[in-house]
Amino acid sequence: MSNSTARSLGDAAFQRTVCHVKESGLGTALDIRGFNLWYGETQALHGIDMAVQRGGVAALIGPSGCGKSTLLRSINRMNDLIDDLRVSGSIVVGEQDIYGPGTDVIALRKRMGMVFQKPNPFAMSIYDNVVYPLRVDGISNRRILDETCERALKSAALWNEAKDRLQQSALSLSGGKQQRLCIARAIAADPEVLLMDEPCSALDPIATARIEELISELKGSYTIVIVTHNMQQAARVSDNTAFMYLGRLIEYGATDEVFTKPRSGRTEDYITGRFG
Amino acid sequence: MSDAITSDVPASGPAGVAAVAARQAAGTGRGEERPSRRVRSLTADVSAVGEPALWAFGGALALGIVLIAGFLFLVAWNGVTTFWPKPIAQVELRDGTLLAGEPTRSSRYRPGENILEALTAEELAFIEANDGFSDRVLYKTANFDLYGDDFRWVSDFEVAEVLYPEAFHLFEREQWGTFVGRVDGLVIDNQPTAFDYRLMQREQREARQRFRQMRRLERGEIGAINYRIDQQRLAIRRAELRHGAESERGAAMIAAAQARIAELEAEFAIVQARVNEIRDLDRRFRVILAEVNGQTRETELSQIVRFYPANALGLMDSLGIYLSRWWEFLSTEPREANTQGGVLPAIFGTVAMTLLMVIFVAPFGVITALYLREYAQQGRLVSIVRISVNNLAGVPSIVYGVFGLGFFAYTLGGTIDQLFYAENLPNPTFGKGGILWASLTLALLTVPVVIVASEEALAAVPRSMREGSLACGASKWQTIRHVVLPKALPGIMTGIILAMARGAGEVAPLMLVGVVKLAPALPIDQFFPFVHLDRSFMHLGFHIFDVGFQSRNSEAGKPMVFVTTLLLLVLIVAMNAMAIYVRNRLKRRYATAQF
Repeated sequence: MSNSTARSLGDAAFQRTVCHVKESGLGTALDIRGFNLWYGETQALHGIDMAVQRGGVAALIGPSGCGKSTLLRSINRMNDLIDDLRVSGSIVVGEQDIYGPGTDVIALRKRMGMVFQKPNPFAMSIYDNVVYPLRVDGISNRRILDETCERALKSAALWNEAKDRLQQSALSLSGGKQQRLCIARAIAADPEVLLMDEPCSALDPIATARIEELISELKGSYTIVIVTHNMQQAARVSDNTAFMYLGRLIEYGATDEVFTKPRSGRTEDYITGRFG
Repeated sequence: MSDAITSDVPASGPAGVAAVAARQAAGTGRGEERPSRRVRSLTADVSAVGEPALWAFGGALALGIVLIAGFLFLVAWNGVTTFWPKPIAQVELRDGTLLAGEPTRSSRYRPGENILEALTAEELAFIEANDGFSDRVLYKTANFDLYGDDFRWVSDFEVAEVLYPEAFHLFEREQWGTFVGRVDGLVIDNQPTAFDYRLMQREQREARQRFRQMRRLERGEIGAINYRIDQQRLAIRRAELRHGAESERGAAMIAAAQARIAELEAEFAIVQARVNEIRDLDRRFRVILAEVNGQTRETELSQIVRFYPANALGLMDSLGIYLSRWWEFLSTEPREANTQGGVLPAIFGTVAMTLLMVIFVAPFGVITALYLREYAQQGRLVSIVRISVNNLAGVPSIVYGVFGLGFFAYTLGGTIDQLFYAENLPNPTFGKGGILWASLTLALLTVPVVIVASEEALAAVPRSMREGSLACGASKWQTIRHVVLPKALPGIMTGIILAMARGAGEVAPLMLVGVVKLAPALPIDQFFPFVHLDRSFMHLGFHIFDVGFQSRNSEAGKPMVFVTTLLLLVLIVAMNAMAIYVRNRLKRRYATAQF
């Protein structure tokens, strides 16, 4: 959708985020304040304010190109790989403003796990894939690696299938299992935040159900931010849902309310399928 | 119209599609049912209904395959048959001349006026009966020491009679090449003895053993002693240069070296005496060879490398000679200006030079590609660098040779000589062509291939993999080291294989930077530091050029050209096959699942 359409809809609609978040009681894990982002001359994110509850699952929904993935990738500074990128505002993880001066990006990424749209296991064995985050931290103690591998694979519900073939190539797994392996890899180093960028978009319904189950199990232990195109999925797995549109955060609130009685007209239009 | 097409071409592939299209077109013409979009009929445009260029594409491919297959067949056939023993013909000409030799090849020609004038009526009649043409046969008469030539053309009209007498033998000698003739007599332990094949075979085998022993002593032990004496002389020179001949330390070192030289010379005298003893014994065993007209040559039995009765060989005898010739070819040094003997030093030089080149080119090319693709800011400058690298691949290789000689050998090597080998000057050590400079020159020549292939391989690693690694908290180098490089390795290997194939087959630049016709020593031997990268070496590619076009008698070298070409091809194929095997193993390790 182009900028002219956005303007014709009336800027008033974008002026303030409607916010009615369900508190987890554990405080805030991730606080995004007045965050703007530009690709060259194009502004992709406009003044995002969003606080993710510790131990909760926040889903980002919205039509294609609305900036969900951009926002998610800003949280672990994955967008740094893109030339000509500018940001303003702040994202606070724990106590640290990750866009503040002197931020160690590598250290920051070690505090987060990320699962991508398509499974992207490395061309190495299942075992090496899971313990990769530890290996890059310089941990070579075999016992620690073994324990971590088992724990992570169990958390990702892959242990039973994979325990007898840990040394086989990760690429020999099926797509759904590869994605679960990627989740195991993302949680292996015990991250504070788990970022999921449409983790089920390349999977069949059964694998999707399996991953959703997994997200429910991980809830509580990890703070999860999940981007999804599938509104049923957002409704099933998340505590809070953020609806984004044209780079703005329209509504951010408790999931059951967003889907049953949205407080913004745009949200209602989107979830009822009137546009998007 | 449609009938013509269906009957002309088989209904399969693109042609089949064309036929179907034409049939549809015909169908609409009859008005049975009208599709919304009309398929044009053949009258409109042939490219609309078929694949008019298909035959041209297929033909081009077929032509290419035929050319390559023909080339391979030519090389393989000539190479494989060279060593098979040929019969010896005794030819009597109409003027009474006798000659004997191996028929090598034949051709048909039309004798010119000047030839016809000199012919007798009988010969003219022969030519006339042949419509003015005549066949001629090239006989390898050998016996270069007697005739001054190895070959002779004989026209059919000259021939009175051709016989294949069993008494004729072919002798391969250490010197003067082959001899074709009979054995006139043997001298065993200075006693003239009648010729007996078995006796001669036994005595020749023993004589060859003595010959090899002499050679071992001369090349091995005397060679080693000479080498050590040279080292001591250099030590004296070094002492003079560093400490001065007058200084106490210098004088002491010189005295020590001179004492060592004296010791070595005494050793030398002992070994030389042993050699002389064996040589004296060896001179007591001789053979008298007689060519077809009765001229004789007396030679030591040990000079006969191989001999056989060419016209009295069974299949197994021929096979034995064939295999022993191959073994000699692969395992010994060349003799007789490279036209005979083996090519072991050339095989060794080719393989060593190629491997050395890979050792230089692989890391250098891959590191360059890594920087260009992963670290450098992609922009105008990088584009210019990339275009320049691609263009480097098209520079004629002789230019690299000139550069290698000027920069590596003269500049770099000259500096090394002044710094570390000053005692040897004015004789250059590294300041001339050598295997090190040759492989560096070839590495430079092939590095664009590796850079381009590696860059492609790195670019083909999916972005999602890099992101996955970075998201795990890996640094850029860790990502490259553990994720990007392993994934790109098969592609990088392909580049290295291509570079190897190019480098192993290159000759022109090598002629300037270290390849020689006959290398006195291999680059690896038993003397410290064992690997002598400064030495010049032999190369199969250059050997082909030298044997075929630089020897005193190119006809004699011709079979060797084919055999050496065959060997070079086999060697390159073997090296590539090995590299491809390694690459496939890597690929299998990272095999992807199907889903």
